[in-house]
Amino acid sequence: MSGEMLLSLEGVAKSFGGVRALNDVSFGVARGEILGLIGPNGSGKTTSFNVLTGLYAPNGGRIAFDGADITGASPQAVYRAGIARTFQRSRLCLELSIFDNIMVGNHGRLNRGLWHNLFARRALKAEHDAAFAEARELVALFSPSLADGMFQAVGALPMIERRRIEICRALIARPKLLLLDEPSAGMTHDETHQLMSDILAVRERLGNLTIILVEHEMGVIERVSDRCVVLNYGEKIAEGTYQEVASDPLVQEAYLGSA
Amino acid sequence: MDLFGQYVVNGLMLGTVYALVAVGFTLFFGVLDVIKFSHGDVLMVGAFTGFTAASGAAALGFSHPLAQLAATVVFALAGTAALGAAIARWLILPLKSAPRLNILLATLMLGTALRESVRLFYPDGSNPKAFPALLPTSSWQWGQFTLRADSSILVVTGVLVIVGLHLLINRTRLGLAIRAVAQDEETARTMGINYTLIVLVTFALGSSIAAVAGVMNGLYYNEINFGMGLLLGLIGFSAAIIGGLGNLYGAILGGFLFAALQMIGAVAMPFASAYKDVFAFAVVIALMAWKPTGLIPERASDRV
Amino acid sequence: MLNRFPPLAVAAAAVLAGMVFAIVFMEQESDVAVISLIAAAALAAWLAGRAGVAEAVSRAALASPGALSALVAAAGLGVVAAFAEDHFPLLMLATVMLYATVALGLNVQFGYAGVVNFAGAAFFGIGAYTSAKLVGSGVPAILSLPLGGLFAALVGLALVVPVVRTRGHYAAVVTIAFAVLFKTFLEVNDAFGGPQGLPVAAMNVLGWDFGDAPTLFGADASFYLNYALAAFALLALAFTLVRRLERSWLGLALDAVRLDETGAACYGIGIRRNKIFAFVLGNAIIGVAGALYGCMQGYVAPTSFTFSDGLILVAIVLLGGMGSPWGMILAAAIVVVLPEKLQAIQEYRFLLFSAVVIAILLFRPSGLLPRRVRRYFPEGGR
Repeated sequence: MSGEMLLSLEGVAKSFGGVRALNDVSFGVARGEILGLIGPNGSGKTTSFNVLTGLYAPNGGRIAFDGADITGASPQAVYRAGIARTFQRSRLCLELSIFDNIMVGNHGRLNRGLWHNLFARRALKAEHDAAFAEARELVALFSPSLADGMFQAVGALPMIERRRIEICRALIARPKLLLLDEPSAGMTHDETHQLMSDILAVRERLGNLTIILVEHEMGVIERVSDRCVVLNYGEKIAEGTYQEVASDPLVQEAYLGSA
Repeated sequence: MDLFGQYVVNGLMLGTVYALVAVGFTLFFGVLDVIKFSHGDVLMVGAFTGFTAASGAAALGFSHPLAQLAATVVFALAGTAALGAAIARWLILPLKSAPRLNILLATLMLGTALRESVRLFYPDGSNPKAFPALLPTSSWQWGQFTLRADSSILVVTGVLVIVGLHLLINRTRLGLAIRAVAQDEETARTMGINYTLIVLVTFALGSSIAAVAGVMNGLYYNEINFGMGLLLGLIGFSAAIIGGLGNLYGAILGGFLFAALQMIGAVAMPFASAYKDVFAFAVVIALMAWKPTGLIPERASDRV
Repeated sequence: MLNRFPPLAVAAAAVLAGMVFAIVFMEQESDVAVISLIAAAALAAWLAGRAGVAEAVSRAALASPGALSALVAAAGLGVVAAFAEDHFPLLMLATVMLYATVALGLNVQFGYAGVVNFAGAAFFGIGAYTSAKLVGSGVPAILSLPLGGLFAALVGLALVVPVVRTRGHYAAVVTIAFAVLFKTFLEVNDAFGGPQGLPVAAMNVLGWDFGDAPTLFGADASFYLNYALAAFALLALAFTLVRRLERSWLGLALDAVRLDETGAACYGIGIRRNKIFAFVLGNAIIGVAGALYGCMQGYVAPTSFTFSDGLILVAIVLLGGMGSPWGMILAAAIVVVLPEKLQAIQEYRFLLFSAVVIAILLFRPSGLLPRRVRRYFPEGGR
């Protein structure tokens, strides 16, 4: 992989018991790129994300991000390095408000000092107000109506709003790399289309954020990705533009074989 | 050496009782992923039911110990089976989707309710009851070492119950259904298994095994009281946990391990044998620090 | 129909009514009067809810939480003053306030961080035994309270590794085992007085002897007034601390850890650090309350700090509503006062509690005063 790459995986392997979930997987993402990570069910897409974000320690290989080795780093360290993610099954805290959920994502930039939080209420208030304004502005990019109700519990909101909040939570700390794990899951075709348009619009405002997107809906991948990596049974079987991989016989076989 | 022999017999006896209690926790956890903390008090209710049945049989003129024993066992098992199924039906199934802590608390409180009910409403319930000695009192003598017939019968019975349960779970259609429900509720339903029925049967089964332990305990110590279930339940729960929840062998291992710890505490520290429970529970805490999901861990299930 | 009045005025009226009720209630002797008053209170609460009082109170809480807290605190002091000359009601009020303080500590642990603790009574006991050992041996009383908290926190540290490494049921067994271990240890250890326990000397803070009856407006008050006031100060302190903790980034991090460890870790929140923080802070609060409780009771014995007592403490947290500081105070009042006032049910109190808690879990799992969505600062405040 060249030095231009923001993230690079080299020969990454992960197995559970005897099952090889990832086998010698290598790919990279250039700065400002949108990479589609695709493959049939169980091909290792989410496992890749979990290894990348430190939830699973890889059994082999190296992961480099922004010039640093993050192989086997803790999830907290990966987040601090500048990688934020969303989850396939929404992991918002349903009892908490929209603002709270977004502040979870902002955690690294907030002052967590004991004195500041418990006794310096005036300073905390100033910090709070600034963070609130910033979060509100970000939410408003997706949905002005949500921004007017930042203190409503997330659990009462429909799926598409929850996805939006989850993406705001990932974006609030200005990550260098955003990992989106199936943003279309649980949504209709039209909702997905709307959400992707929102993401693309917000991305432009945030200075061409680098994104890796795991997605089942090929229409979404075709529309937004610059390049695709195809996994099957934990191995990379193809890489290239959407048109290139879609016409690859190996890829067609992998999809048809699994259908 | 003779003292050591007594400790071993005593330890085997206690280990069997603990294992029987722990097995119940594991069964319930298996089918519903819940901890039913009232289990120890269900055991106590079983012992009191058995005691009542034995007294009743005696009052009706059945003077033969075997007849009284039969009445004890039948009523204790049937009573706790019904109680266990009722608890599952009206307390645990309605709370199935509630947070785990809520179910733990609800059943802890139910245990308190059972305990208090016996204390308040059983005739003279706040005082210990002398459990009749229904087993042969003969004994064998090897030098200084005495083996009592009743303790041997009890240990053998307990082991037979465990073996029987193992066969039931692994070799019968009912066991297959229980394992299917434990694996996955949805799949079990689509296989045509009556989910609710299997849950209730499992709770009845686990509860009646606790009654066996309760009656064993009564026969061994010749005394029962309303509070006996609390510590036995705590120990059974600890045993199931250190063994690793959802695994029958873990529960059995944990039960005997806990008894062994108590015996080690008593033998190794004769100057402070009162500390044996302190020692055993301290080791339980240390074990949890070392193996946070038990000696035989359950399969991880947190899908990301 | 109450919309015409400012919310704070409605809330003030409600608090005043509550204070008068508390005083009248505590003066009753007969079971019939007590039961009628409970029925009247339930009816009044229902009617007030229908008339929009609850709505007004929650708006007042949102707009001016400080003023509302001050009102409630003044009402609490009013109740204490009303019984300044009577031993028994004062002891009961002080006990309510100490139990509420303990519940606040437990609330930090499992209401916020999700760290279950069934050994609350044990940590309460550590505080009480600390003051029993220290106050008698010449350590200034003013130090024995923080030292009680410190020792409870330190003993808790011994459990930190298993508590932090385990989850769910596995975590429950750690504190349950500790609760049983602690009580057994006290019973067999002669240095702590065995089953009989130890006497505790009266507190003396900078020449203020707590065993002495203070004089109030020319009348001799009960010496328990000292303890009631100290318990009040402690509760106010713990309440402020827990309230501020909840309404800060620290409280948010605890919530995130409780609700989803994996998600929190992916956003840089240290799971272990937060759990340790909550566990240690909670135990310290419980320990301080225990130290004062020991002095107030005049003796400490293992039977006050059993596993069952720990269950009652957990029941208070659940009854009040996990994460809801006001709920802790209300629930502590109900759990402590009700059985004392209802002699008829005194004998049945454990049975009754267990039934009530089961009913709460089945039908109102969020408790009497459910926690509200977090607001860090008053709405439109400065």
